[in-house]
Amino acid sequence: MAYVSELEASLRPPAMEMPPYPPKVITLASGEEMVVRQVERKEIPTLLEAIYPLLWVERDFYDIVAARLFGELLAYKRHRVKDEYVLAGMIDGVLAGMVNGRLVDEKTGMSYHTLTIRRGLRVGSHLFAAKMEYHIEHLGQDEVLIVAESPIGFRRWMIEYPLEKRFEVQHELGGVPSWVLTSETYYKAKPRLAAGRRPVSEALLRGAETIALPVEEIVVRQVAGEKEGAE
Amino acid sequence: MKPVYIAGAGMTKFGRSEWSLLQLASVASLAALHHADLGEIPVDGVVVANMGAARINRQTALGSALVDQLALYPAAAEAVENGPASGASAFKVGVQAIASGMADVVLVTGVERMRVVNGLEGTDFVASLSQPEVEYIYGVTLPSLAGMFARLFMDRFGVERKHLAMIAIKNHENATKNPYAHIQQTVTMEGILTAPEAVVNNPPIAEPLHMFDCCPVSDGAASIVLVSEEVAGKLGGPMVRVAGIGQATDTHAVHEREDPTDLKAVRIASEKAFAMAGAQPADVDVAELHDAFTILEIAESEAAGFFAKGEGHKALERGETKLDGTLPINPSGGLKAKGHPVGATGVAQLVELTWQLRGEAKERQIKDAKIGYACNFGGFGNNVVATVLRREA
Amino acid sequence: MMGQKVFGAKCTSCGTVSYPRHAVCPNCRAESFEDVEISGTGKVLTYTDVYALAIDYETRYLRLAIVELESGQRVTGQLLDDDPKLGKAVKTQIGVVREQGERQMYGFQFVPA
Repeated sequence: MAYVSELEASLRPPAMEMPPYPPKVITLASGEEMVVRQVERKEIPTLLEAIYPLLWVERDFYDIVAARLFGELLAYKRHRVKDEYVLAGMIDGVLAGMVNGRLVDEKTGMSYHTLTIRRGLRVGSHLFAAKMEYHIEHLGQDEVLIVAESPIGFRRWMIEYPLEKRFEVQHELGGVPSWVLTSETYYKAKPRLAAGRRPVSEALLRGAETIALPVEEIVVRQVAGEKEGAE
Repeated sequence: MKPVYIAGAGMTKFGRSEWSLLQLASVASLAALHHADLGEIPVDGVVVANMGAARINRQTALGSALVDQLALYPAAAEAVENGPASGASAFKVGVQAIASGMADVVLVTGVERMRVVNGLEGTDFVASLSQPEVEYIYGVTLPSLAGMFARLFMDRFGVERKHLAMIAIKNHENATKNPYAHIQQTVTMEGILTAPEAVVNNPPIAEPLHMFDCCPVSDGAASIVLVSEEVAGKLGGPMVRVAGIGQATDTHAVHEREDPTDLKAVRIASEKAFAMAGAQPADVDVAELHDAFTILEIAESEAAGFFAKGEGHKALERGETKLDGTLPINPSGGLKAKGHPVGATGVAQLVELTWQLRGEAKERQIKDAKIGYACNFGGFGNNVVATVLRREA
Repeated sequence: MMGQKVFGAKCTSCGTVSYPRHAVCPNCRAESFEDVEISGTGKVLTYTDVYALAIDYETRYLRLAIVELESGQRVTGQLLDDDPKLGKAVKTQIGVVREQGERQMYGFQFVPA
């Protein structure tokens, strides 16, 4: 472990023991395999590069999600946020989406963001469920506090799981009244909302060792829209 | 009736567009006009097909607006609304203008820009085509009508979810050869049906229909230039004849249909179109059907006369409706993968058929395509327009 | 909810009951009707669980059905049955089937007979 000065240590939040997220693989509608694994601090710059072009895409609230996520990822890398985790989904080694959150305490999680880069394959749904799986099954938490910036997307989670109101709690994302996913609801919803297989084969893990960036132009176009006509 | 020909066809890429409604319509229209290469020959009329502009885009009088964008004044112009069959209805209106001798050149453009509103608003808007007193009040949406139809049809004729998946797989595959298609992504049987992950990959929308049984919401425009025989002769290009058009209606409330598994309006409209064309279903080389829901491709293929009742899914199993089959259906990718900008769809089907008959469909070209058939399904099957096109020279 | 009923239109000429009401009798084209209550027992013709709903519904899905009543009438409504089956016997009741703003809409619910 690198040397941490007393001063630096005083600026860092105390860290809880967090068992790592065990990677899994998911067969997507296209037949492609997506590996979902935890992201290390040294990989954060790659994720930042992927998010950067989305900072100015207003559609679907991508701009605020990208901006906040950028800050959260940077804070994770620089040890300025307590007990944060980042999970990424990769298809053939190329980044397909990412999710993050943190642990408020042993029993309560705080979900941050879900960003889908490869659209049309329910990557966001898979990764959101993976994050809930991490909080509840692997970190042993009782509940996860959740809000979202995009109203329609959020409604889907709200109704789909379903989430309960915990409005007396202000969520860290702007102090918005929180919703919560309880352990009980998670397990009931798991058969229809969470998927994936373990263990992941050696070959797939090796293929997902390095996060490759998607082509920026394609990312923005998939997210923001077309300006193409007839030939 | 005077003969009517198609002189030009064009469309925008379907999908999520940054262009405005009128920009989409103009781009497609100009593509068709350039394709037709009219030179000094004037456009007499413009017909616009659209379903949602008044509510979703807060725009009306689209016929006049498009004439203005294209500086085609003083051409006659109006918009036609027939729900999801607006496109073929507008086409029919254009054909009638020329067949009657009242016009020589008519531009028909279908356009829709629905993605400016969220999915819930879009769903509710399309649900407005249901019967207000006995369907809409129950929360009936178009997918729910399709779901109820699918369950009964599948039960009666032995169609299974795997057949629906085959339609999705086929049409997604076809769309990868179509640069204009909304969805450029193949899907597999494993991914959407058989793998344990399919539960999440392909969630229910209106059981037994799932996400990959339903077409996407798309923006886009498609356009056709119709001409009289005289003008077609002057232009000298390939002679694609509008050989037959048929239209039929049925009860509004689905529960009032005589036989709720029978797409009667598809059958009657198709019979009329074939009769006018002096052709039979067996003569058709390529078909564009209205697969807003995968089950509809199977059901329409039977009602149109291509396969006997209950045999459509078997023909699908045998591969007969693939690009290299005996009756390729939806080479464009269909509504499922090409996309469904509601007002544009009926016109886009005919654009695809035109390209096929002219030998211009490139990677998805059906060899020696001479006769094409399209079915544009309005409401939930209570207003259908069927068209037969024939390459004459 | 007391006294809420669903009515069809009985043609005063030929006696055919149509639901929904039309401006003319679909059978004989006469133009005069009397209200007749539609209710009773019947069989599920088809049903679906629809998840693609409009914004005024906050439920995860709605179970809708078309039922063939013994009277010969076919009706659409919401199926309140945890174990739906094609052909299963049900009976009609009236309940709130949709709420838009302040407005409550009443209509058919089907329960096991």
